Amino acid sequence: MSRLAQGGLIDRTRRYAFTFDGKAFSGFAGDTLASALVANDIKLVGRSFKYHRPRGILTAGPEEPNALVTLGAGAAAEPNCRATMVPLFDGLQASSQNRWPSLSCDILAINQLFSPILVAGFYYKTFMWPSRFWEKLYEPLIRRAAGLGALTPAPDPDRYDRAHGFCDLLVIGGGPAGLAAALTAGRAGLRVILADMDRLWGGRLLAEHQLIGGQEGHQWASTVAEELAALPNVTLLPRTLIFGIYDGREYAAVQHLADDQAAAPAGRPRQRFWKIIARHAVLASGAIERPLVFGGNDRPGVMTASALSTYVNRFAAVPGKRVVLFTTSDSGWTSAFDLIAAGIEVAAVVEARPDLPALADRVRRAGIEILAGAVVTDVRGRSVGSVEIVTQHGGRRRIAADVLAVAGGWNPNIGLGGNLGGRPVWSDSIHSYVLDESPPGLQPIGAAAGRFALSDALADGLRAGSEVAAALGVTAAAADLPACSDDAVALAPIWQVRGAKGKAFVDFQHDVTDEDIALAAREGFRSVELMKRYTTLGMATDQGKTSQVNAHGLLAAATGRKIADIGTILSRPPVLPVAIGVLAGAHRDQHFRPERHTASHQWAAEQGASFVDAGLWKRAQCYARPGDKDWRETVNREVTTTRTGVGFCDISTLGKIELQGPDAAILLDRLYINSFSTLAVGRARYGVMLREDGFVMDDGTTTRFAEDRFFLTTTTVNAAKVMQHIDYARQVLWPELDVQAVSVTEQWASFSVAGPRARDLLQQILPDKDLSNDAVPFMAARECHWQGVPAKLFRLSFSGELAFEISVWASQGDRLARALSEAGRAFGATPYGTEALGVMRIEKGHPAGNELNGQTTAPDLGLGRMMSKKKDFIGRVMAMRPGLTDPARPALVGLRPVASGERIRAGGHLLEKHAKAIAANDQGHVTSAAFSPTLGHWIGLALLRHGPERHGEQIVIHDPLRGADIAAQVCSPRFVDPEGVRVRG
Amino acid sequence: MVDQLTIAKRQTLQLASIMARRGASAACIGARLGLALPTRPGWVQSSALDVLGTGPGSWLALAEGAGPDWSDRLSVQLAGLASVSDQSGGTVVFRFAGPGARALLQSGVTLDLHPDNFGPGAAATTAIAHIGVVLWRTAEKAGFEVALFRSYKASFRHWIETSAAAQGLAFQAPEW
Repeated sequence: MSRLAQGGLIDRTRRYAFTFDGKAFSGFAGDTLASALVANDIKLVGRSFKYHRPRGILTAGPEEPNALVTLGAGAAAEPNCRATMVPLFDGLQASSQNRWPSLSCDILAINQLFSPILVAGFYYKTFMWPSRFWEKLYEPLIRRAAGLGALTPAPDPDRYDRAHGFCDLLVIGGGPAGLAAALTAGRAGLRVILADMDRLWGGRLLAEHQLIGGQEGHQWASTVAEELAALPNVTLLPRTLIFGIYDGREYAAVQHLADDQAAAPAGRPRQRFWKIIARHAVLASGAIERPLVFGGNDRPGVMTASALSTYVNRFAAVPGKRVVLFTTSDSGWTSAFDLIAAGIEVAAVVEARPDLPALADRVRRAGIEILAGAVVTDVRGRSVGSVEIVTQHGGRRRIAADVLAVAGGWNPNIGLGGNLGGRPVWSDSIHSYVLDESPPGLQPIGAAAGRFALSDALADGLRAGSEVAAALGVTAAAADLPACSDDAVALAPIWQVRGAKGKAFVDFQHDVTDEDIALAAREGFRSVELMKRYTTLGMATDQGKTSQVNAHGLLAAATGRKIADIGTILSRPPVLPVAIGVLAGAHRDQHFRPERHTASHQWAAEQGASFVDAGLWKRAQCYARPGDKDWRETVNREVTTTRTGVGFCDISTLGKIELQGPDAAILLDRLYINSFSTLAVGRARYGVMLREDGFVMDDGTTTRFAEDRFFLTTTTVNAAKVMQHIDYARQVLWPELDVQAVSVTEQWASFSVAGPRARDLLQQILPDKDLSNDAVPFMAARECHWQGVPAKLFRLSFSGELAFEISVWASQGDRLARALSEAGRAFGATPYGTEALGVMRIEKGHPAGNELNGQTTAPDLGLGRMMSKKKDFIGRVMAMRPGLTDPARPALVGLRPVASGERIRAGGHLLEKHAKAIAANDQGHVTSAAFSPTLGHWIGLALLRHGPERHGEQIVIHDPLRGADIAAQVCSPRFVDPEGVRVRG
Repeated sequence: MVDQLTIAKRQTLQLASIMARRGASAACIGARLGLALPTRPGWVQSSALDVLGTGPGSWLALAEGAGPDWSDRLSVQLAGLASVSDQSGGTVVFRFAGPGARALLQSGVTLDLHPDNFGPGAAATTAIAHIGVVLWRTAEKAGFEVALFRSYKASFRHWIETSAAAQGLAFQAPEW
């Protein structure tokens, strides 16, 4: 164990057991997985992506490129978790990735021997030919060898929640700047949301020994957080990642609710997705320390200086026994102080700048060797054993050490700021990129704005908080800037150490070296965007957080340009990886989208109905009875019972629209190809409407209940489209018409009652109503009441039988279904589903969805004579186009098999007898097919060229998809009761 | 213990959409009804009925226990000024009350339900979990009512149950 005897923000009274690659370890509450591994002397935590090099922990934050582990096992396993961000909990299971058979002995590490050829562009150049090998052979092989972690194919056992947040000020980052901003705005009464990925507030203050107002920084932070928590107008979101900025000042976030335990409590979510609308926001996301580029800089034991400080100060975890510090910045010296204070041996401080900062005195006083103007060129050992140093005057030194801390300067953490397209610009004063144009409402503050000193961060926070308050017309009490430690922030970056012998990595996660960038430049990929894509630098899961700026420096050097002139890349959301499950939330599996249930759904389910999707609707498909040998037996029974006795069917999913106003009839005349102004009150008429382009859009019946009040039905699938079409017509095309429209689809539960005994059954439901032919003739409609509730009665038939449709308020639909079922018992009535409905409409030759497919005209469907010549209507002009009036167009016919046992299948294509089965001979296709229990054989509807003239002709149904061709005879689509006698019975 | 959240279905509520005829203003339709109709998303109340603004020239009227033929009477009352269409059968209205009401609804609604923004008299036509709803704050400050099409009831219930569980909200829902 390498744990300091005291100190750190860990709870030593709570010891947690965990495993890494099956081996048991322990840590403390407050640890991250990374800090617990450090405290257990684990240096090797993963293998690299391409060369499978051993890797250790480089950082202590979200930017970590190396320490990626798979958490958990089985269905709950989550790959590519950054150990630096995983809170330790009792029973945590972690395993390393990208290694086989084990982490310490990885066979693919042999790739390192081939590294001279495995340079950037290797795959592009090598696996180009033959091109057909790519998909089948090369890509699968490469993917198996590479890849980062593996997804489990099992369904995600976790739940995810969703929330919406609204605030005056969103503070992104809970470090000194963010806390100061949140406090100022919160005290002024603004609605504030403060989010930070950490479980504790304070950011850098947790990792450093800074003083604010005489307090330790982390104590100041927790005092501020306590005050904020007590303010009702402030929402604190710890362990929350703001991962993207979108238009309209919208921020997307993921709150980690239960990732600090093995599993969320039952019913509770693991994570919550937040959509936050913020009038103003501050980006107080801090900065990320840059590694340095030298030979073997990826060896386990090489760590950023700030990470080293974090492990020592926050977690009391010691990464090694003897440390060499390699720095180009003042902040590196602060880390040296931390090590001295903790009593850790510092072998030497290697400062690349020839002039030592004033801070050096304190280190010198501690008796530590200082090498000014020197650089580390190489690391020796599988993990750090010693470091090679070139001194200011070219001398060589080798110093034994097991940890090399590197301080390459700081990059403001501004990825979010580029989400809406603002490109960061180079700042010569901080040697990194800063935001130039921020997303609307957002301003960077503190280290994220390149103002690295603690006092600047606090001042920025106070200023931003009161500025936002002022912008919203609120006066914020001016808070004094608390006295705080003075930290030095000077630096002089070096992008590359010359003279390295070993591989020098720039992007650790994608194994991109300094040589790869030089190669990209040599091959002409001089733009940063091209260099990025050629080398894949910055394209791994860490999105190049530790590599991008170093790579820019190297590319500038390789192409002889200034870094300020080569531009930079944009970051897209998410700025850090986000589990896809949290985006889906509760909308998965059967809850992927909402379901719509008709009023009789529960009753139908009780009857054993199976359901079929019709858009969002669940419709009863058929009502199987025990003993039915298959669904067709069920459907045949439903059809036969209806045709010989009586059946009823829930048809509530049909779209229903109420049209009112003095000009309603005029609008209907323009919407439909046939006339409705001539329709008498109390009568219904079938209508067809066209799209503007002349093709059929929808059909249905329209009933006139008063001079100025009509009731339209549409097909189920087109209900919303027709409603939209009508609103467009009355609001945009003809606003001068006084007509109002409203959907009443949901208002009415409708049932068709069909069959020779339909009248007898319905009479039981409406005992006082005269249902005779004289009182309610075919195509008549009446408004009435059923048990005191409004009802509508229609004499309409889709089945071709004597039929009524009865509609009651949907709130009464369940009762009506039960009443029909109860009363029907005396008549042997059957409920029937969409399958029987479909069979009966095919037997009657009624076009439905398969025929109203957006490619058919009214004449194609045999409805050409309905097109009025006395009036104009939507689609009339375009329907007259030669292509749409061509008599050779495929038009509706019926088909029956020549050999009566043969099955007609929808989708089969029609050929003349003996014609070769090629596209040029195609005569049309079968649109709908069914077994007709009424006729005892299969029947079909088809669209056939010159169809109506070809009744009696024998043709071939060619069905290469499902096998044999069959001979069929063309006939009228009206297979049953072609004269329509029954409907008038 | 006070319940964090109670959800009740309004069982005896009648609803109707009111659509202005051409040229009829909100003011003159309102005058006939004895209240000032909202011309924005919002709701007003008289002793006889509540009216929600649902769109330009369109409103949803609600009347408690008015009986099945209420909309016919309303239609007569507004003859020549507006078309009335009954929606009582196809719409269900749930009342959310208690301190947990806003927290629960806010997890589904993308509009800000803070009382400063969505106070008494506020209403919105929006969506929860892909289900179209009309939502308004009730006269009791902590309460909300949500109207939705009847067919979505089961999915809406599923959303309530999973979202309440996710937030640890215990709730009472005597009748769905």
